[in-house]
Amino acid sequence: MSNPNPILKADDLSKRYEDGVLALDHLNLEVRGGEVYCLLGANGAGKTTTINLFLNFIPPTTGTCFIQGIDVNKDPLEAKKHVAFVSENVMLYGNFTARQNLDFFAKLGGKPNLTKEQYYQVMRRVSLQEKAFEQRVKTYSKGMRQKLGISIAIIKDASGILLDEPTSGLDPKAAEEFQEILAELKGEGKAILMSTHDIFRAKEIGDRVGIMKEGRLVMERTREELQYEDLVKIYIDYMKSEPLTA
Amino acid sequence: MLKNILRKELLENIHSYRFPLFALICVVLIPLGMSVNNAQYAKRLKDYNEQVRLADEAQTGLKIQDLMAGRVTIKGFRPPSQLSIFSQGLENALPRYYQFGQDGYSQGESSSGDETLASTQGKFDFVFLIQMVISLVGLLFASDMISGEKESGTLRAMLSNSLPRDAILLGKIAGGYLALLAPFLVALVMGVLLLLPGGFPVFADGTPARILVMAAAAALFILIYYVIGTMVSATSAKARTSLVAILLIWCGFQLVIPKLSDIAAALIYPVRTDTQVSLEKSLLINTLETESAKELGRQFDLIFAGAKPDASNDPNSPESKKWAPIRDDMQLKTREQKAAQLAAIDETFLQQQRRQRSLAAALSLISPSSAFGRLAADICGTGDLARTKYIEAVRSHQKALDNELFSKVKRTLMMHDNGRTTMMFSAEPVDPKKLPKFAIADASLGEALKANAASIAALLFWLIAPFAFAYVRFLKYDVR
Repeated sequence: MSNPNPILKADDLSKRYEDGVLALDHLNLEVRGGEVYCLLGANGAGKTTTINLFLNFIPPTTGTCFIQGIDVNKDPLEAKKHVAFVSENVMLYGNFTARQNLDFFAKLGGKPNLTKEQYYQVMRRVSLQEKAFEQRVKTYSKGMRQKLGISIAIIKDASGILLDEPTSGLDPKAAEEFQEILAELKGEGKAILMSTHDIFRAKEIGDRVGIMKEGRLVMERTREELQYEDLVKIYIDYMKSEPLTA
Repeated sequence: MLKNILRKELLENIHSYRFPLFALICVVLIPLGMSVNNAQYAKRLKDYNEQVRLADEAQTGLKIQDLMAGRVTIKGFRPPSQLSIFSQGLENALPRYYQFGQDGYSQGESSSGDETLASTQGKFDFVFLIQMVISLVGLLFASDMISGEKESGTLRAMLSNSLPRDAILLGKIAGGYLALLAPFLVALVMGVLLLLPGGFPVFADGTPARILVMAAAAALFILIYYVIGTMVSATSAKARTSLVAILLIWCGFQLVIPKLSDIAAALIYPVRTDTQVSLEKSLLINTLETESAKELGRQFDLIFAGAKPDASNDPNSPESKKWAPIRDDMQLKTREQKAAQLAAIDETFLQQQRRQRSLAAALSLISPSSAFGRLAADICGTGDLARTKYIEAVRSHQKALDNELFSKVKRTLMMHDNGRTTMMFSAEPVDPKKLPKFAIADASLGEALKANAASIAALLFWLIAPFAFAYVRFLKYDVR
């Protein structure tokens, strides 16, 4: 069950880069607790820009991002206390072990006093092999790094989770495991905003799916609506349609 | 938060392949350099003691007739600096001794004649290692501090948390710097401990303070290069770009600016060579002595014209009684005139040298490496301050010898109108044991620091300016 108040909210959000490219055009979206929102779109559609704006990596041209009701631009540090982030290629410190990475990011995320066993529990939860806990991360496969990345998000225990194409390049088994973890997090009441190219995965896990094109959110469907529609066909139709005018 | 980032940065550096390599360089090269230079110092000290002993013997056995014949030169030797094992500076470039004579002083040979071609590119000492090796390692350590983390994506991961950017920057600088400083300090302590069995007076008066101040200056210098590397890293989006920029900066600071500043100063304020000055002095002496000899000859001929043949050898003859005060007065005037004019030539030459050196020093402060090198050399007693003290001692000793020795001998050269030349000698008794000993007053640590106020200011500038720049850049750094 999703909560009525949105944890992640984009309000009339636009971003025009210095080179004049309009990457995001008046985006409005909300993600509530216990809800997974999947953003679909081609490269350059504005998915990653949206996430970058939520994380205050770039300032918006117009509009506002809210995390847990906090304006990201006005109080980014307070806002980021309530969000965790997992990128496409979870890059960690290769010379550190999984536990050392987890320890470092847990402390950054405001969890300074966790025990070794607590770190191990989180890594077990994401099905990371026990023997890998004290291995240097540079020896990890991409799937293992993604699991560790989601461990970091879990341990932060933030109410919002931003995922930037997290299943890209994962083998089917790893992607399936990843989906299961997301389902658990959703069950815990987390608001999850996930950008992805994976239409199948979006339909499987998304409570709502939005399609972005040229910076605009051109379509939004709920899980219920998608039961009677072919998401693949909708997506391809939008991609093939005429370019949007400014 | 800051502590967490500092710890991460420290551990990350320690776990990297660069750290053991750097630690190895430090613990091998620094103690080795100090041991080798200590052995060389011991050799120079032995030579110095032997030369001083011989010079003292020669001075004690000084015979007035040798002095009258111009066969005696008094030598004043410069003792090697104990702390030259840390910074050779001008140690081998300064004259090993000065020679003092009736016509002034002249410099003896320097030790640089013993040098190899390789050593002209820099002496293998503690300061050289810091300037050339550790500075480069410091820059390289910092080169990927920001841009490398951006490329690997870890900067995004960090900044997705509630973490102020200034805390990241400070934590990263502090952690990376500690990783750099620790092996350096360990190597320095090892080097100092290795000096103890060789009898090096590590705990002698003033030495520990000088070593500590130099270690602090070295630590500051390493921090400066680390911060400069950070600034470059925070300015570039890619680690490879940082690397190229860093190598260019290093070449400019270490190799180009110090040499260019000397060249520019020499072009702006040209100075005559020692040989030119020496020739000018010889010419002056010759001219004055010839004029004096001619005038003495003329006066002598006038006074002794028509006198008994041996009147000039009889001090009680009326002619001799008339001649003596005139001769003494003329000789005194000539001596005073010669001394004043020679001093003026020396002073002009020294002033020109000082002006050129001051300009070169000021220009070289554009490079933090030069600023550190100058400071370290003066702390170790091998810098410009040591040269100034040496020259001051030489001039003062020349004056003392003029009063105590050279003025006691009078040579009267006369050139007569008929073309005849005569020379007469007279001398007052001299006790060679009572002649002054040549000694150079060491510059105190306080004097060294005061003389290097500009160098210290330059070092602080090179710490604050790149940090401020890195700070501003990082606050707006595009982490995407």
